[in-house]
Amino acid sequence: MEGQIIANAFHHAYWGFPIATYFWLVGASAGSFVISTLGWVFGIKKYKSTAFFASNMAIALLLIVPIILIIDLGKPYRFFHLLMLPSFSHWSAPMMWGSMFILSYPIGMMFYSYFVYKKNEKWARILGILAVVLALCTHWYTGVVIQLNPSRVPNHASVAPILFLTGAYVSGIGLLNICLWIRNRFVGPDSQVSAGLIADMARLMLYGVVFDLFLLWNEFLHMTYGFGEEYTMLYDVLLGAFRWPYFYLEIVWGLLFPLIILMIPKINRQLPWVLLASFMCATGVYGMRIWWVMANFYYQGHF
Amino acid sequence: MGERMYGFNGVSPSAGKPGRKRYAMVIDLRRCTGCNACTASCKTAYDVPLGASRIWLMEAETGEFPNTKRNVLPRLCNQCDHPSCVRNCPTKATFRHPDGYVLQRYNRCIGCRTCMVACPYNARHFLPEYRRDPRNPRNVADKCDFCIVRVTRGLAPICVTSCTGGAIIFGDINDPESEVSQIFHANKTFTLRPEMGNAPQVFYIGLNEKIADPEFAFHHRSKQLQKRYNTFKRNSEVGGEMAGNIIDTDMGLMGLIRQGLNNFRTFFRDAPHKIFRGLF
Repeated sequence: MEGQIIANAFHHAYWGFPIATYFWLVGASAGSFVISTLGWVFGIKKYKSTAFFASNMAIALLLIVPIILIIDLGKPYRFFHLLMLPSFSHWSAPMMWGSMFILSYPIGMMFYSYFVYKKNEKWARILGILAVVLALCTHWYTGVVIQLNPSRVPNHASVAPILFLTGAYVSGIGLLNICLWIRNRFVGPDSQVSAGLIADMARLMLYGVVFDLFLLWNEFLHMTYGFGEEYTMLYDVLLGAFRWPYFYLEIVWGLLFPLIILMIPKINRQLPWVLLASFMCATGVYGMRIWWVMANFYYQGHF
Repeated sequence: MGERMYGFNGVSPSAGKPGRKRYAMVIDLRRCTGCNACTASCKTAYDVPLGASRIWLMEAETGEFPNTKRNVLPRLCNQCDHPSCVRNCPTKATFRHPDGYVLQRYNRCIGCRTCMVACPYNARHFLPEYRRDPRNPRNVADKCDFCIVRVTRGLAPICVTSCTGGAIIFGDINDPESEVSQIFHANKTFTLRPEMGNAPQVFYIGLNEKIADPEFAFHHRSKQLQKRYNTFKRNSEVGGEMAGNIIDTDMGLMGLIRQGLNNFRTFFRDAPHKIFRGLF
């Protein structure tokens, strides 16, 4: 350790806040797109009115993603190396699969949005199925990129991609609720989304929150039976260096408070409370992305 | 059972396969004096930038006076047989040579740092924008390559030639006549983090848990040194010009916010520079 200080050889793997933001944006995009397809693909008619807006929001969120990713590269102009088939692209690398998903997913969403706009039931359904699979894959791969690193302690668990997807679902609905409420202030009464529908979506979000807490419980239970590094990690995310993004922002602010709000019968359908819970969920998941990216890269530095 | 293929570059691991070469290294810690000659010569030979090393030393002092011991551990890329960096590289920029080296192609690397995340040994580093010699590669990942340019010309790697105690032994471990093979078979050797499944090919003689176990190495230091270590580590921006620090020294909410803002500030500050510099 002394030698590392002298040589200054810490060798950080520095994926920082921009990458955490990217994870959050992709997740929110996937989550809101899932809501968009509820009406046109899964046949729940009351959600049809949100489909066009939710899909466009998902596209807009996803348009920021390549900018962040490409600028974060050491050599931004070489991003096309990921697309040069088959000599350059390396099929065993999850980042390779991801670049395919990130390319195809917005295209699928755009076609879906077009057919929803044209009210073409058949093609909206076909492209909705395709795009929702791509949406899930796009976010699943971000979990896999993080998961397939054997030495990064809490990442290297099979719940990682599912945890990512659940976070995406929760943050996507949270952000969509807030955006729909803002939209209501600018459109006529015919196009407005009712407060009841927003409360229904918050109910969907509640299921995601419960499942997210369940997965986190499982992951941390698994870590209590780990090696020394797992214990250090457990201590630091609950009480130590990473308590703010993980414990306070994600668990307390992002999951427990919304859970309480959405479980109390008197307030769980009142618009201000629903919007507060949605805001908490959307921002709380950002805390998860922060600690998930940074805390893990911090730990191996002890070695 | 079929052979485990890590990365589809058509090269299978060669350790223990007759008729093929497998360059490996044995480091005899009983002979290592911790003089840092390997670190210095490697840094000089390859223009390794500040804040990164291809070979470096971990040190730990254990025991109570007068029964004290200084444990030294030279660390470098383990040139694994199943390297997770090769598997995770999306552009085949890092690949395994048939003779066992794990090498980096700078002209393919896009600088995504996935290999740095994947490596369990922290053996990879990132080359910064500003190099002493501007013709050297910038903004790409780099690593120890067992001095392939020297070995293919019949010379030993520079850390081996500069080792004052003769602690580093290098050669083809598949050749039973070679020095490295004989020492490897005559002694009990250990590798670092074998549980990672990377099949590392740098073997240590006399490795103990006081230096090889990262948790032990960290928690058995004084509180003052732990604090200094964390402070150094958290503030180490050398080589990390794109993403800033890992974490602010203030671990509270304000520290988190400040770190986030600082991170985005460096990100946007470097963005136009990287883009326009890349054009020329």
